Amino acid sequence: MAEHHFRVWRGDDDGGKLADYTVEVNEGEVVLDVIHRLQATQTPDLAVRWNCKAGKCGSCSAEINGTPRLLCMTRMSTFDPNETVTVTPLRAFPVVRDLVTDVSFNYQKARELPAFAPPADLKPGEYRMQQVDVERSQEFRKCIECFLCQNTCHVIRDHEDNKQAFAGPRVMIRAAELDMHPLDAKTDRKEFAAEEQGMGYCNITKCCTEVCPEHIKITDNAIIPMKERAVDRRYDPLVWLGSKIFKRSDA
Amino acid sequence: MRTTAPDVSASGPLSYDVVIVGGGAAGLRAAIAVAETAPALSVAIVSKVYPMRSHTVSAEGGAAAVIKDVDSLDEHFRDTVSGGDWLCDQDAVEFFVEEAPKELLRLEHWGCPWSREPDGHVAVRPFGGMKQQRTWFAADKTGFHLLHALFQTSLKHQQIVRHDEWFATKLLVDDGRVGGVAGIELATGRIETIAAKAVILCTGGCGRVYPFTTNANIKTGDGMALAYRAGGPLKDMEFVQYHPTGLPFTGILITEAARAEGGWLLNRDGYRYLQDYDLGKPEPHPVFKSMELGPRDRLSQAFVKEMEKGRTIPTSYGPIVHLDLRHLGEQTIDTKLPFVRELCRDYERIDPVRELIPVRPVVHYMMGGVHTDIDGAAGVAGLYAAGETACVSINGANRLGSNSLPECLVFGARAGEAAASHAASAPGPAASLAAQAADERRRLEELLRRDGGRERVSTLRQEMQAAMEAGAGIYRSRDDLVKSVDRVHELQDRFRSVRLTDHSLTFNTELIAALELEFMLEVAGSILHSALMREESRGAHQRVDFPRRDDEQFLAHSLICRNDDGSWRIEYPPVTITRWPPGERVYGR
Repeated sequence: MAEHHFRVWRGDDDGGKLADYTVEVNEGEVVLDVIHRLQATQTPDLAVRWNCKAGKCGSCSAEINGTPRLLCMTRMSTFDPNETVTVTPLRAFPVVRDLVTDVSFNYQKARELPAFAPPADLKPGEYRMQQVDVERSQEFRKCIECFLCQNTCHVIRDHEDNKQAFAGPRVMIRAAELDMHPLDAKTDRKEFAAEEQGMGYCNITKCCTEVCPEHIKITDNAIIPMKERAVDRRYDPLVWLGSKIFKRSDA
Repeated sequence: MRTTAPDVSASGPLSYDVVIVGGGAAGLRAAIAVAETAPALSVAIVSKVYPMRSHTVSAEGGAAAVIKDVDSLDEHFRDTVSGGDWLCDQDAVEFFVEEAPKELLRLEHWGCPWSREPDGHVAVRPFGGMKQQRTWFAADKTGFHLLHALFQTSLKHQQIVRHDEWFATKLLVDDGRVGGVAGIELATGRIETIAAKAVILCTGGCGRVYPFTTNANIKTGDGMALAYRAGGPLKDMEFVQYHPTGLPFTGILITEAARAEGGWLLNRDGYRYLQDYDLGKPEPHPVFKSMELGPRDRLSQAFVKEMEKGRTIPTSYGPIVHLDLRHLGEQTIDTKLPFVRELCRDYERIDPVRELIPVRPVVHYMMGGVHTDIDGAAGVAGLYAAGETACVSINGANRLGSNSLPECLVFGARAGEAAASHAASAPGPAASLAAQAADERRRLEELLRRDGGRERVSTLRQEMQAAMEAGAGIYRSRDDLVKSVDRVHELQDRFRSVRLTDHSLTFNTELIAALELEFMLEVAGSILHSALMREESRGAHQRVDFPRRDDEQFLAHSLICRNDDGSWRIEYPPVTITRWPPGERVYGR
């Protein structure tokens, strides 16, 4: 057992400030354990989202010493005993209270993306896929929607106006996942990402990949291939001609 | 946050044809069923968390459904009924095993990436208590992938409106008919009423009434308490499943798939102790319904016996045994059980490729729940329930691993269809509901503003959890149960002087914790009373003072009802037996 210095942002949409706490820390604990101890012993009115405590539900996203992280997956042993641990809410979204932010932007963008389109000619039980193809999109399906990538992406983080045009990395990997799904019947996933969801805004700084708690290679495996193929489609005269001759059946 | 504007003016009361409480697998499946079968109806999902935070994400191992030629619906039926120690309603199980493959294929058409065989067909794996390989999986994050596919499919239907982070505190019932829910929008603290012609409860289980559980923070039995308080009976509440392999301290689950792939359970001497408990002989490779692939109740009970013999390993987080995966090799672990390796690394700082995993039994699942018929109807007109919060019952006295995800789908869909058909012909909400809503508003405002109470939410919660572990653990006795019943009554009294220090309206987590505790105390009481009255041992309910199954008296469901003054009464309607009379549960021979 040891004491640790914490600074936690307290406030709401009217503003707020960092509050100082000295709090007990035990071996094996994560930052969320310490936040819970603060609630139990010093400040029961500290607002924080959490649920599974196992890095699966994506609730407890915040910024720890300025880096977007999950509170439940950040071990106290990663800090120097004398290092102050500063916990602040996600910066890219409006604060509701303390560490809780309004992340509804992400759900609006998710709703705009067309769902998986089943192939019309296959009946239940007739799908055949190779495991290797399933795994390609499986990587992107690992996303827990913690929105750390959305929060760190400077296109959104530093430019509120861009939120209208750019859906952010989370939505890009969803588009990539559907694009790579062996049986998705829509053939314009890349075009949709480029034209409707602002894929061009991404300038491949890979900040999103760095913060992803699921270690999804968002930029390398999803956005870059999508960008390359979108460009191929648009500028390749054969593809252009083919698409004119064989009218695509996607709705 | 509301994601879509409701179809009434912002100032008027919210109103929908069907309201679903809970946005996990059962809730989303129910919403899609309403939208598909009755597109003209309005439907809302109210959930205290965003849908993707739901506990369905934690289901790892898989979903059972007959798909291979060597398998049959009859075998799935028999495994489920004997796994449940004959307390399952067999008509419900018959319906369930028939519908499960259709539901899982439907999920495939909604984009769920089931893992495949080399020929491109859906892959299946063995699971505890199952005689054939019939568990579909998506790596070892099955529930997670399934929930994503459902959520994304729900987005296709514009008529499905979500009220995320909205906590339902009361079912509004008039003259035996449901008229909606009252509750709190977390972000604003606004106390609102949502009128509905039908309400479907899909809030999951209540593992949080125990101190050591795999269940996430939100699993506080809200739906069970909502129904119980509204006059709906709870069924078979004494049947609480302990999963044999939880990580000590965190209670994080190590999936049964780890044993299905060939993992061994070892005591302090490195001995596969399950062979001493009538579960078969140790073989190097996994054998269906034998040893480590026995049912969860029997494996957890064997752990306690080993502990009594002094053959478990003491640690600072209590006694443990070891799960050994080392002989499976790195490649199998990485392709079949990547998440297990991840969890061990992150939470125990060990690598299962080279090291033994410490495990102990952990509260995992409620076989009991809101009493429903096969349509999900819950005994109050217009009220339905599905998933873990409900008890149909297909799980009987012990659920088999990988039956719960398909249960959410099969009965979520069925409840959605039934609720839609009820709502299509039901009259609008009764005028008297406004008075009930006003009462509820006053109650919540009083709790929020209350000053001068002495009791802390966290203290009462801890004491309740300790009482549940002491009274209604893996083995139970009359004396312990009576003590815990008294304890919970005392805690309910003390709850009346609970004190909140947070009086804010905005995202008040202390207020929600208090309301959850009130629900949990209600549910805890129903578990203890039901356990006390069932004087036999069956499946997950083991009484040291009544060690035998007693089909003469207890081949029956416990149906506990709450009287208006908070007291209770229990009835014992018979189990539905269609074609397989009770017999011996046989494993490993």
